[in-house]
Amino acid sequence: MSSAIETCELTVEFHSDVKALQKLDLRVAQGEVYGFIGPNGAGKTTTMHVLLGFIAATSGSASIFGVDVRKSIARQRIGYMPEHPQTYAFLTGRELLIMAGRLFGMGGKFLSDRAEELIEKVGLSEAKNRRIAGYSRGMMQRIALAQALINDPDLVILDEPTSGFDPIGRIEIREIISELKRAGKTVFFSSHELSEVEKVCDRVGIIARGRLVAEGGISALVKGGESLEQYFIRTLS
Amino acid sequence: MIKSIVIAQQVWRETLRRKDLYVLFILLLAFFITLMTLNVFGLKSLVGHIKEIGLLLVWIFCWFLTIGISTRQLPHEEKSGTIFSLLAKPVGRAELIIGKWLGACSMAGLATLVFYVVLGGIVLARGGTFSLRLALEAFLLQCCFIGVLAALGLLLSTRMNGDAAATLTAILSVAAFLILPQVPQWSANVVGRQREIMLAIYYALPHLELFDLRQRLVYDWEPLRIEPLGMILAYGLLVAAMFLVIAWLAYRNKKFSRDII
Repeated sequence: MSSAIETCELTVEFHSDVKALQKLDLRVAQGEVYGFIGPNGAGKTTTMHVLLGFIAATSGSASIFGVDVRKSIARQRIGYMPEHPQTYAFLTGRELLIMAGRLFGMGGKFLSDRAEELIEKVGLSEAKNRRIAGYSRGMMQRIALAQALINDPDLVILDEPTSGFDPIGRIEIREIISELKRAGKTVFFSSHELSEVEKVCDRVGIIARGRLVAEGGISALVKGGESLEQYFIRTLS
Repeated sequence: MIKSIVIAQQVWRETLRRKDLYVLFILLLAFFITLMTLNVFGLKSLVGHIKEIGLLLVWIFCWFLTIGISTRQLPHEEKSGTIFSLLAKPVGRAELIIGKWLGACSMAGLATLVFYVVLGGIVLARGGTFSLRLALEAFLLQCCFIGVLAALGLLLSTRMNGDAAATLTAILSVAAFLILPQVPQWSANVVGRQREIMLAIYYALPHLELFDLRQRLVYDWEPLRIEPLGMILAYGLLVAAMFLVIAWLAYRNKKFSRDII
C-alpha cells in the first residue's frame, strides 16, 4: 500500500539564496493523523504548497497516494483548507460547496445532499444562502473546511485549521478530525496549538529551517510527564 | 472541459453580481435613448447616423467590458488568495485559463447580443432597416474579436496585475485596430530593410479590423460570402488559441506563495 504522502529529498529554494525546504523526507501512512509543527517560517506551509502543486520543488520529489504532485489528478483525493481561507465573496456558502464539488466531477442530488450535510456539520445551516461577503472570520473558516471535505477526501490537508476559531469552534474542529480518523482518512495538518496536536495526532513531525528535526508518535517523543510543548521547545533550543 | 465550464460559470456569477455591468448597460441605454429622440431637421438619413453612432457605442462598450472581465480574473484570484482553494482541486492550469477565457467571452458576447438587439429595435423604430444575415455576421465576427481580446487580456494578466494588464490590452488593441491597417500605406513610402520590417510587423500582429463589419451594416451593403467569413473566423480562433497557449506557458509554472495574499 502506497503512503498517503511521500517526499524524497524535497528541496525548495526561493531566489536561489533562501532555502525554504532542505532535503525533506516525509512519509505519512494512510489513515494516519499527522501533525506538522514548527516555528514560523520553518517550511510548513511551503511543504503543503508543494504537495498541492502551488510551488514546484527545486529538487527532490513528492507524491500523494503514489501520484506525482505535479499532476493535477494527484489532487483528486485531497481536501485542503488554507491558513487564511479566502473564498469567493460573491457566492453563497451553498453555491461555493456546489462549485467545489463540481470541480471534483460530482453533481446532481448526490452533490446537493453532500453540501447540505457539510453545511450542517460546520454549523452554517442558517447562513448557507447568504453571500460569503457577509460571513465573519469564523464562518469563513467553517465554509472553507466544508469545501475541503466536499469530495469526501482520503487525505485532508489543513493549514492552521484552528487559527480563526473560538474555543467551541476548536473543539468542533478536533471532533471533525477525530471523525475523519475514525473513517480511515489521512489528516495532515499544521498548527501552533500544540495541545490540540497532542490530543488528536498519531504522529508528529517537527520542522525547523526547512529540515525535519524530529518525528514520531506522541508517546514515543513525549516522556516523563513532559508536554508536547515542552518537548518542542527543548528540541528547537 | 467540464471543469473549465464550472470555472466559466464562476466568471458569469461574478460579473452578474458586480455592479459595473449594470452601470455599463444603463449608460448605453441612456446613449441609445438620446439617439432615439434625435430628430435634426426631420432628416430621413438620420437613421444611418443612428446606426453608425450606435454601432460605435456597441463596439466601445463591448471592448471595455471584455478587457475589464478578462484582465481581472487571474490577478483577482491571486490577490484574494482564492487561487489556493481553486488549484487545490484537480484543476489543471490550462483548464483554469480556458475556463476564465470561456467565461469572459461568453459574458461579453451575451452583453453584446443584448446591445445589438436594443440597437436593432431603435433602428427599426426609427423606420430604418438592416439585413438580418449581415447583422448575424457582424455579431459573429464581433464575438470572434471578443475571443481574441479576452485571450490577449488573460495572457497579459498572467504576469501583470489587473490594472496594468487592462491598460496594456487597451493600448495594444487600439493600436492593432487603428494603426496596423495603415502600415501598408506607410511602407509604400520606404524601401529596403525598413519596408521589410514594417511588413513583417504588419503580418505578425493580429488584425482586429477584420472583425469589424460596421460599415457594411451602416450602408446596407451585401452580406459577406461564406468563404471569407469562414476564413476570418478561422483566423480569429487561431490568434485566440495562440494567445491562450502562450498564456498557459506563462502560467503553468507560476509559483504561488502566501505572500501574494
